[in-house]
Amino acid sequence: MTVQMRDMYLSDHLTMCRWQEFLESEGIHEFQAGEVRPIEETVGLFDEDGRLIATGSLAGCVLKYIAVRREDLDHSALFNRIVGELIARLADRGATHYFVFTKPMYVTAFEHIGFTKLAQVEQGVLLEGGLPGIDAYLKDVRALGNWPQSAAIVMNANPFTLGHRHLVEVAASRNRHVYVFVVHADRSLFTTDERLELVRQGVADIRNVTVVDGGDYLVGFATFPAYFIASPEDVVDYQTKLDATLFRDWFVPALGITRRYVGQEPYSPTTEAYNKALKEVLEPRTQVTVIEREQAGGEPISASRVRQLVAQGDLDGIDALVPATTRLFIQHHLLQLQMRI
Amino acid sequence: MDITRTATAGTLESSDIQVTLAPGGDGIDIDLTSDVIKQFGEQIKATITSVLKDYGITSAKVKAVDKGALDIVIKARTVAAVQRALDIVEQPKWEVL
Repeated sequence: MTVQMRDMYLSDHLTMCRWQEFLESEGIHEFQAGEVRPIEETVGLFDEDGRLIATGSLAGCVLKYIAVRREDLDHSALFNRIVGELIARLADRGATHYFVFTKPMYVTAFEHIGFTKLAQVEQGVLLEGGLPGIDAYLKDVRALGNWPQSAAIVMNANPFTLGHRHLVEVAASRNRHVYVFVVHADRSLFTTDERLELVRQGVADIRNVTVVDGGDYLVGFATFPAYFIASPEDVVDYQTKLDATLFRDWFVPALGITRRYVGQEPYSPTTEAYNKALKEVLEPRTQVTVIEREQAGGEPISASRVRQLVAQGDLDGIDALVPATTRLFIQHHLLQLQMRI
Repeated sequence: MDITRTATAGTLESSDIQVTLAPGGDGIDIDLTSDVIKQFGEQIKATITSVLKDYGITSAKVKAVDKGALDIVIKARTVAAVQRALDIVEQPKWEVL
């Protein structure tokens, strides 16, 4: 059978319908804008009669919506061609490190072409391929210093507030060493570099704290693709547990993390669910400690309140919520920040 | 010579091999995936290593996904990956070929 590889432009309505119909016949039913919009390229394999028999897409360095017609005898050859084509396209852009989120039943197929499983939960799996991988990342983190045991905090710090500062202070006073991982995601108001720098400045006086870029591995669970999850109520459970499992299987053993500190979350049910998932997945090996929110003016300090005040240009209001370092940065970049909103 | 950037060559199709090279600290470290790793694993690694040596590369992280490639294919793909990793695609090193 001769098959032909072609680009599929999903902005074209007919192509989109055809693509969606094929995926639905292969058991993928989730086509929310949040999942489909990030797609940059889609390829399809067509048989002699012009029928779509396999497809795959790229969204940044994430491979998505990969499906191959089930009844084909050379199923795995078609699968390899699709994945190989996507990897080659990434290489053309200079990207040699990529991820896939998929159903657990496809783990073997991906491992067979050199992917490494990073985390698996009941509903889904995260694998990575190419170089440099998680081993190289953790090796770089270990090179920052050698501590037999550490506590860890993972924060978005968008931006770094007195609430974050309180969390770090508590952890640092109770442990010999604390890693503060800053979530790597540029969907925030403050960029990753800015957030990282503000955390560094904000904890510079605490001796036993190391601030680390979360890299490709701590990116914020809400961004995990969930297009293959059948029921919407499962999505948060899958995303939070997958994130927690990756931390347990790689970060905990490589860095000797015995405790993880999280801020109490009275307002966001998603973060509340995340804290619950952390407890479920990490304990007993790593204890999860929930620290009560620091208050200012009778209200819990939150970064989202700071962002509101940035939008309003209320520097005095911000003063009570953030350390001097963050305040200075906001003051100097107020217009620039407001333009991003 | 040291590899300064990550590069890849080859496909995942039958009879091919996909070779990815990245800068690495200690020696040549090859991570090989192959259905015939038991029979030919050592030979595949030796072929890759010898190409790297010809280019004077002493340390690199290598990821190879083999789909039953013949020796000459392994060599060709490794050469292509090295040329890309060293950014010398326009100046092939003929004596290696």
